[in-house]
Amino acid sequence: MHLLAIREMEPARIEQLLESSQRMKRATIDGSKVPQFPGRVVGMLFLEDSTRTRVSFEQAARKLGMGFSIFGMQGTSLSKGESLKDTVLTLKYERLDGLVMRHNASGAAHLAARFFDGPVINAGDGMHEHPTQALADALTIAERKGKIQGLKVAIVGDVMHSRVARSNLWLLHKLGAEVHLVGPRNLLPRHTGKLPASVHHDLLPGIEDADVVMALRLQKERMDGGLISSLGEYASLYQINARALANAKPDCIVMHPGPINRGLEVDDQTADGPNSVIVNQVENGVFVRMAVFAEAFSNGHMEQPKTKKATKK
Amino acid sequence: MKIVLKNGRILDPSQDLDMVGDVSIVNDQIAEVGRVSSPEDADETYDCTGMWITPGLVDLHVHLREPGFSHKESIITGTQAAAAGGFTTICCMPNTSPPLDDPALIDFILDRSASPEAGGIFVAPIGALTKGMKGERPSDLASLRRAGIVAASDDAFPIQDAQVMLRCMELCRQLDLPVATHCEDLSLAGGGSMNEGSVSAVLGLKGMPRTAEEIQVARNCMLSLETLCPLHILHVSTWGSVEIIKQAKYLGAPVTCEVCPHHFSLIDEDMIPFDTNYKMNPPLRTKVDQDLILQAIEEGTIDCIATDHAPHAAHEKDRTFDEAPFGIVGLETAVGVTLTHLTHKGVLSPLETIRRLSTRPAEIFRLDAGTLKPGRTPVAQVTVIDPAIEWTFDVNKTFSKGKNSPYHGATFRGKPMLTFSGGEVYCDALWPQRIAMMA
Repeated sequence: MHLLAIREMEPARIEQLLESSQRMKRATIDGSKVPQFPGRVVGMLFLEDSTRTRVSFEQAARKLGMGFSIFGMQGTSLSKGESLKDTVLTLKYERLDGLVMRHNASGAAHLAARFFDGPVINAGDGMHEHPTQALADALTIAERKGKIQGLKVAIVGDVMHSRVARSNLWLLHKLGAEVHLVGPRNLLPRHTGKLPASVHHDLLPGIEDADVVMALRLQKERMDGGLISSLGEYASLYQINARALANAKPDCIVMHPGPINRGLEVDDQTADGPNSVIVNQVENGVFVRMAVFAEAFSNGHMEQPKTKKATKK
Repeated sequence: MKIVLKNGRILDPSQDLDMVGDVSIVNDQIAEVGRVSSPEDADETYDCTGMWITPGLVDLHVHLREPGFSHKESIITGTQAAAAGGFTTICCMPNTSPPLDDPALIDFILDRSASPEAGGIFVAPIGALTKGMKGERPSDLASLRRAGIVAASDDAFPIQDAQVMLRCMELCRQLDLPVATHCEDLSLAGGGSMNEGSVSAVLGLKGMPRTAEEIQVARNCMLSLETLCPLHILHVSTWGSVEIIKQAKYLGAPVTCEVCPHHFSLIDEDMIPFDTNYKMNPPLRTKVDQDLILQAIEEGTIDCIATDHAPHAAHEKDRTFDEAPFGIVGLETAVGVTLTHLTHKGVLSPLETIRRLSTRPAEIFRLDAGTLKPGRTPVAQVTVIDPAIEWTFDVNKTFSKGKNSPYHGATFRGKPMLTFSGGEVYCDALWPQRIAMMA
C-alpha cells in the first residue's frame, strides 16, 4: 500500500499506523523484538536536500532488518537527464521492494506510484504533503495530551509553502482536532475554502486557548520574493515565545518540524523550555517510519512483535 | 462528379438557414442547397436523415507544431485530426521552431497543407506578432500578410511590455490584420501550473491567479479601443475577462473572443490530482467562471469556440505537474464536448452552435469559409454531424499524434460523421453502422 498523502487516507488507517508506531516505540525502549523484514530492500530517492528525514528512514529500515539503497540527485542518472519516470522504472526492474521518495515537485510521489509496483512512501513532495512528519507529530501530541480528538491546534507561519502544514492539517482534522492556520496574508493560500481549518492573520487570536502550537520553518528566501518585509518584522509578529504563549493554554505544547531558525520562528527559551516537544518529534519520526515500513511489507497483516516468523518474502 | 447529401437538417448561419433538405456538391463546389434538382444523377448519395448538414467547421486556434516539433504533431497528422473533428479550416499558431516570423515559413506551411495527405483541409497560418516571438520588435507583418497569414499573435509568449503591444497594434491596424492575444501577466502567473484557488491550495501547486489573465485582457482591450486594431482574445477563462470584454465591446473596441471546450466543460475541481492531462494555459478555473462563461456564450459576448489543440508527446507529459508542458489536444473532441455541454443543455440552439463553430470564427479572421452559399468558399466545405449519436472517446484511436486529453473514456452525444473539403471526404468509422441502423 502506498503512503502518498494524508488527505487520501482513511482515519482508521492513520490510527492503526499511530498504534503501530507506539508499539514500535515501546518495544524499542523495552529492548524487546520488533518485526523484521530481512531480504526487503527499499530504494530511498532523496532528490531534494534532507538530513533528518533521510536519517530517520535509514534508522527505521535498520531496526527492521531491511536493506536500503540511497540515491540523491548527484550520482544518479537523473543528473544525466534521465526522467523521473525512467528512474522509477529502472528501480522497479532492479526489483526494489519499495520506494521512499523526497522530491521538490508536488505530486512527484503520485507520479512514481504510477510506474512502480511496490509501495511508494512519500517523504515530502514539493509544497504538497509530508505524511510521515505529520504522523510523527500526531504521535508526539497523543503522547503528551493522551488524545487528539477535541484539541485546538494552531499552525503558525509559512503555511502556503509548507507540506508539513498540509499533512498535519488533514491528519489533525481527520482525527477530530480543531485546526487554526495563522500567518501573514502573503504566506497563506489566498483561497482556503477547501482546507478544513480556520484562518487567522494575527498571532494572538490564532493561538488563543491552543493546546498545541506548531511553528513552521520560515525559509529566508521568502524575504527575497518580498513575501515578508524582514526577518525582524516577521519575528515581532509571529514568533512563538513566552509572551505569545500567555494566550494559549498553560500546558500548551510547542512543536517545530525543523530545521529551526532559533530566534526567528521560536525563541531559545521556548524551544528549550518544558513545553517544547521538538526533540520528541524527531525521536518519534523513527518509530513512525518503522510502522510505515511494517505496514508496507506485512502484506496487510499488522501483527504484534512476533511477525518475524509470519513475514513472507 | 456530383455528390448529394439527402434529407438532412441544413444549418447555415451565414444565411440564417435551418431547414430539412438536400445539398449537392458538383465538381467540388456547392451547387444547390435546400432542394436538389435531379438527385438521381448523383454519383454518390449520402442519406443524412437525422443529421445536420453544416458549413465546414473553422478552428482559429490550433498548434500544428511544424516546423520544429513534429514529434508532437505534424501538418499532416494535424489536418487529419481536423477532418476527423469536422473542421475544414484551421488556423495554426506560430510558436514553432523557428517561429512563424518569416514569409518563407508561411510558404512552407501552405505548401505542406496543400499536399494530398492533408485531406483538403485548409490551413490558415497565424504569423508571429514579434520577431522570434520575443515580445520586443514587431515582425515584418506586411510581408507576412502578403505570404498569407490571416492574423498575428505571440500566443504562448504573451507580450509583457505595453508599449510593444501598442506599436504592434498600430501596425496591424494599418494592415487591417487581426491581432490575437494570449493574455497573461507573467509577473503574476509565471511558474504557476494551475488555477490559483482552493484546489491549488490543497495540492500545494503554485497557482496562476485569474488577475494575471484579466489585467492583460483589460490592457489589450484598451489598446484596441485606442488604436481600433481588430483584437481577438484567445481562450477566455475567467468571469472577469468576460466582463471586461463585454465592457470593451460596449465602448466600441473592435474586440472578439473565443472559448475552449475544456473551459466550459471542466473546472479545477474536476482534475484528477497531478494528472498532467489537466494542465493547460489558461488553466481550468472555477464553477463561478464556468457559469459566467456559459452565460456569455449564450448571450454572445463570447463569439466563437476554438480548441487550442496543443499536442505533446507522452514523454513530455509523463513528468511532474510543475515540469509538464501546458496544453491538451482538442480537434477530435470539440464537437462532442460542444454538443454535449452546450447544445443538448440548451445553451445554444443548433444554428447558434454552428455559428460559433464555423460562421463566426470565419468572420473574425476574414476567412473564405463558414458558409454553404455557392461560390463563397474556394471549394465546397461541408460537415455532416450526427447530433444524437452517443460515443466514448478513446484517445488511442485519434489521428493526432498527441494523446494528451482529459476526455479519454468520456462519453459524448454528437459526432462529426462526414467532412467534405477540397474534393476529399473524411468518413467516420461509425458511419456505416449508423447507416445500417437507419436501413
